[in-house]
Amino acid sequence: MRVRKNDRIGIILFLLPALILFMVFFIVPIISVISMSCFNWNGISEAEFIGLSNYLKIFSDKVFWTSMRNNIIWALSACFIQVPLALLMALLLSKKPKGWKFFRTVYFLPQVISGIAIAMLWSAVYNSEFGLLNGFLKIIGLEQLTKNWLGNPDTAFICVLVYGLFYIGYYMVIMIAGITGIDDTYYEAARIDGANRIQMDIHITIPLIKYSMLTCVTLAAVFGLRTFEQVYLLTNGGPANRTSVLVLYLYKQMQNNNYGGANASSVMLILTGAVVIVLIRKLFSIKKD
Amino acid sequence: MEKQAIKNSVKEKVTLTKIILNVVKWFLIIFFALYTLFPLLWLVITSLKTNAEYFDNPFSLPAVLQFQNYVNAFNQANLGQMIVNSVTVAIAATFINVMAAAMASYAISRFKFKGREILFALFSAGIMVPLNALMVPYFTIFSKIGLLDSLNSLRILYAAIGIPISTFIIRGFMDSFPLEIEEAAYIDGCGFFGRFFKIVLPLVKTGLMTAATFQFLTCWNEFVYANLLTSSPSTKTIQIGIRYFTNQFTTDYVSMYAAIVIAIIPSIVGYILFQERVISGLTSGAVKG
Repeated sequence: MRVRKNDRIGIILFLLPALILFMVFFIVPIISVISMSCFNWNGISEAEFIGLSNYLKIFSDKVFWTSMRNNIIWALSACFIQVPLALLMALLLSKKPKGWKFFRTVYFLPQVISGIAIAMLWSAVYNSEFGLLNGFLKIIGLEQLTKNWLGNPDTAFICVLVYGLFYIGYYMVIMIAGITGIDDTYYEAARIDGANRIQMDIHITIPLIKYSMLTCVTLAAVFGLRTFEQVYLLTNGGPANRTSVLVLYLYKQMQNNNYGGANASSVMLILTGAVVIVLIRKLFSIKKD
Repeated sequence: MEKQAIKNSVKEKVTLTKIILNVVKWFLIIFFALYTLFPLLWLVITSLKTNAEYFDNPFSLPAVLQFQNYVNAFNQANLGQMIVNSVTVAIAATFINVMAAAMASYAISRFKFKGREILFALFSAGIMVPLNALMVPYFTIFSKIGLLDSLNSLRILYAAIGIPISTFIIRGFMDSFPLEIEEAAYIDGCGFFGRFFKIVLPLVKTGLMTAATFQFLTCWNEFVYANLLTSSPSTKTIQIGIRYFTNQFTTDYVSMYAAIVIAIIPSIVGYILFQERVISGLTSGAVKG
């Protein structure tokens, strides 16, 4: 529809609420995080310009690098374990086996429950005294394997990370949507050529849902980088900061009134996210040729 | 004769691999279902036990169903107040969010004006912004306007952070309707606002409901900012409330599990009732994005 003169005011009026909210809570905060990362500021007194000192400080902090490493492990395992598992289940369920709707409903369920409730559930699993994991090990006679899963520096991080990797419903649903959109004639042609189901999956389905896979990998990486609730609730970064992640790191700096350092960490987080998104897009377009 | 024997052995091999593949397939399908369902079932059962029973054996069934735990959760943690808080926050934030997004979508989808695609791309890019990285600015904004420890801060913030995804969903629905319908109404003398309220909004009802479902779930489940921006008992939301029992000197586990059940039941019931809408709401941003 062409813009008519008397519509102009309406258009501006209608854009305004969303635009104001977007400005105040997206654009301005991002600018403020970037600019304030160059200031020494405790949130109360006057901020003092200190150039890149906040960055130098966090770069020389071991906990920052532990957090960064943990986030990267998190993102990589989501991309290389969770998404492939989701792809496998999408391939299985898209053939509509018995009860596939029920299973899809179940797999997607964790997505609608709050992360904090799920994390509390898993802290019951890992609890050293009356946790389900230790209880199960005792029942099957492996009592020597029981341990304080979240208190042990060797197991804490993997425990916090691993449980979410098997919640595959979200990515699975995205990929099923991709598979449903594939034209049936591809499969008919393959059937005439005598291809079996697995061959069809590998040579037809997977290449044709590349776009859905790109979406899933991007989201998995981005979610891996912004992880917070699980770690905050299960270990709060401990033992000895071994399980810290970037958001928790910046949260703790904020709690210590080191707002400049927190902002520098935020910038690093946003930058890492942007780099990862660009990298994944590049990788996928290289594959295409 | 020999030929026949070879044929038979090949056939046997084929059926054997088929059987093995089938077993593997069903093993996977059932494994992922149990992985989601078992902890939830365990949670419900344990929430009906006594603490002594729980400490004694985390896998046992309750001798007598302890509905008292649910009463405790409500009385001690003041869950009733928290549920009211969560519901009013979620309703207000969802309403503001969906209205603002619908109005912006109407302007973007129905009228050609300079910069509208740039504006839409900007909104869409907001989906990828790691909001957890913006803790410092959000905290500063609300402390400056004096809304710290007020539910209004959550109402505004939740409405704002959902703008990108809601605009994305609603615009998609609006674009799928031809402009001719409104052209006719325009000729009949229907103005800018009349066309929006009388024609476009009723047409995209499904889109509005999809965005609203997604937004409501996000608000109900949100933890990070509720934790950061509110502190007194009267402003706590349900996701903060379920941690009440862990902050006490002795943890009343079974009441805590009852509280978790109360917190996740609305999500699960809503999900089962509006399943298709929830799934498409939670993934539609991703499918195209």
